[in-house]
Amino acid sequence: MSDHIDGPRQIGDPSADLTDLFAFTSPENPSRTVLAANVFPTCGRDAMFSNAITHSIVVRRAKVSGMGDATKFETSDPEVRFSVRFDALERNGANQRPIQRGTCTFPDGQTLPLVVNDERGASTPDGTFRVFAGLRSDPFILAWIVSAMKPFQNLLLHDNVLCIVIEFDTRRVLDPDRGSLFGVIAETVPLTRLGEFVGSQPPRIDWVGRPEQTNVRLNCPFLGDVDDLRDLWNQQTPFAIADELRPLFLQRLRDSLAAYDMHDGRQDWTPAGLAANANMFLDDYMLFDVTKPITDGSHLEIEKSTLNGKAYETGGGRTVDADVIDVLLTWIVNRDREPLRGGTTKATKPGTKTFPYFATPNLELQQVAESIDLDATADKVWELIGQFGGDWHPLIANIKLIGNGVGQLRVIETVDGKQIIERLDAVDNSTRSYRYMNISGIPASDYTGTLEVKPNGAGSTVEWRAQYLGNGQGDLIVRTIVSTLFKTGLGSLKSRFGAGK
Amino acid sequence: MILAPERDSADRPITDGEIAIINLESARKRSWCRFLEDPTRDEVAGTVVEHEQLTLQFVGDVFALDRVELLAAQLVRAEVTSARATLIRAQIASMAHRFSETRQYLTQAEIGGAPIADVDRLRLNVDQACGSNLNNVLDARRRIANENHGLEDFVALGSLLADLQDFAAADRAYKEALLAYQDVWPFPVAGVCFQLGMLWGELAPEPDFSAATQWYRRAIAVLPMYAKARVHLAEIYSSDGNLNDAEALLRPIVALGDPEVDWRLADVLAAQGKFEESEARMRAAHSGFESLLERHLLAFADHGAEFYAGSGNDCSRALQLARINADNRPTRRALKQAHNIATSADDAAVAVELASVVIKR
Repeated sequence: MSDHIDGPRQIGDPSADLTDLFAFTSPENPSRTVLAANVFPTCGRDAMFSNAITHSIVVRRAKVSGMGDATKFETSDPEVRFSVRFDALERNGANQRPIQRGTCTFPDGQTLPLVVNDERGASTPDGTFRVFAGLRSDPFILAWIVSAMKPFQNLLLHDNVLCIVIEFDTRRVLDPDRGSLFGVIAETVPLTRLGEFVGSQPPRIDWVGRPEQTNVRLNCPFLGDVDDLRDLWNQQTPFAIADELRPLFLQRLRDSLAAYDMHDGRQDWTPAGLAANANMFLDDYMLFDVTKPITDGSHLEIEKSTLNGKAYETGGGRTVDADVIDVLLTWIVNRDREPLRGGTTKATKPGTKTFPYFATPNLELQQVAESIDLDATADKVWELIGQFGGDWHPLIANIKLIGNGVGQLRVIETVDGKQIIERLDAVDNSTRSYRYMNISGIPASDYTGTLEVKPNGAGSTVEWRAQYLGNGQGDLIVRTIVSTLFKTGLGSLKSRFGAGK
Repeated sequence: MILAPERDSADRPITDGEIAIINLESARKRSWCRFLEDPTRDEVAGTVVEHEQLTLQFVGDVFALDRVELLAAQLVRAEVTSARATLIRAQIASMAHRFSETRQYLTQAEIGGAPIADVDRLRLNVDQACGSNLNNVLDARRRIANENHGLEDFVALGSLLADLQDFAAADRAYKEALLAYQDVWPFPVAGVCFQLGMLWGELAPEPDFSAATQWYRRAIAVLPMYAKARVHLAEIYSSDGNLNDAEALLRPIVALGDPEVDWRLADVLAAQGKFEESEARMRAAHSGFESLLERHLLAFADHGAEFYAGSGNDCSRALQLARINADNRPTRRALKQAHNIATSADDAAVAVELASVVIKR
């Protein structure tokens, strides 16, 4: 939600959709800064980066040029740009998982090759830069139904994102002696095609500064039937919103912030304060100060203190575990009068203290396994149950086979009138086993089953296993369905062949 | 921006097709997990349907229809009755070509307060698919394309113009679609290339197989596992006697379980003299079509009719299916198919009846 799926165009290519941007001091080494950007919300377990996009994180030196109701931050050249591109996939063998490589280009033009999902990341020879790119658990906490301002469970529970982490020596790269406050954004831009005319840079797909500029502030649910400005916003040039469009965006921010302020029926913002807040949010880059502490609670402190007419005390920025939506809603609804808390303050997995700082992806598979010992040889049992279309299970009213061999389907009608469709993926008569995939009928994703008969003394053992992607609270239902199916089937074999001795 | 002649989005940098398919599959599985975790979240249900539509269209996974039916059943079981959920059920009915049911859901969704733009968009699609109110649909398509300049708007317009047999205008609309595209997702680009292949290879009264071949090849270059494009290109190769290339196109997609692939491969194998495997493939095609027709009659009636009128070798079944299709969506194309099958089945009475309807349209 932070910037997840923040406009029709992002939905057109989910791997270009920036979800979040982070800026914090390395928990491993306080002399180093970490910048990170995530793309591809709810990307699942196997996602890869687009090879047609340049993913960039861009930093500019910033300064406070006004306080209180005259709050203003200004940024200046030169920009410090980190760009990462990825290649098409490589395969070492037909059944091997594909490998994706990429290249990070640093502000000084130096490049660093990297391999996606390599936990150690890649480092430049002098150790100045270290980069990771790959699948991680989404650290964002969306524990609100924002349209109703209702606390809820984390709607992004168990989600993964594609994550780019760039860590560097703060002093060497940012030279904080010349000013320690910075603004940072991330952007995704299509590659320019070969032979393209100069100046015909393709339009930016997405960019993100502070969290929730698009989904909360520009797309306020309380404003009713107004135009969706998110695509227009995403096509603006970061640090340089088009002059002719600034009034449009500013008015939307004012309207939106006023609506949030009055959500609890109490006006906490003066008109001047509201206007100053809107002006501040219009210049959308995340502020961080590398000489001050950046903590889980320091997000937006630079902006808030400045709007309150005080010198800021923290490094602002955003850590992996910062609960940014609670921080934002509290600020815009009641100006920090009392904390607003969503349904939880914890992400699926917390960030880590070691590189790459973002938790491992959520890949857990649910498993159901049942077995039974029978008083019959493995061959005899296999003769009955080894046929993919075998009609031996008491809960199956009818079974129909379509096609032959691997790839064939069985369409099962259960005794309670449900239909299950499964596809044979592999069969091995020498080990008396077959593997199949559920196409439909079992309410689980990526469901694979295996049936195997093993010799056991003079008798045999039948093992029936299934694995599928977890569905949270739906797991119990699936587990009950599958377990019942397996136990009843195996129980019928005991009646037929007798229990193993 | 000035574009060089003949340049369009098909040669713009776009995400590699293999990555896009992996990402679609990964996101599809994840969206199912999220839906099954809480079927009352209708926005997640909508995402699942979008993923399944793409999977059906571009991966050729015909089981996508079975899965969305499961989703519709889950929505009913979870008593999700929001206007959005009703709209999702309309989308699912439309995917399965159950257009009367789709219209009923759309009316319910409209009464329930679904966004009128979403209702209108789907209603327009249904009108177009059924050949109803085509003049109004054409006006609407032109207006939307002129207003939005989006790829999908030009594609819908092109498809309608092709239905109305204005092939040159359809060609222009599809090329406008490619020019309008600014993104990097390969599916829309591959889809337009495929439509252009269909336009010149199958819809035009005097097919230009050379142009069709080029467009199908481009679709496959963008999305290597684009099953429909492979099948259609294989047909052209096969009719040219280029059997090895046709076989090479079809072999990698046999595992999808689409009976049309089995059928086309069976024909290629028979032409190569590989009769035993050809017969096995034809049996798989036969049982595959019957299974699909049993589960999703309206969605596959036209494909089934084509199969039985061809190598499936059952004219009466072909005519039965073609009539079911023409009754469901009496487009010029559906009626023409039914008329041709009736003629070859020597069913003069039906052929005359259908011919009169085709002429009226």
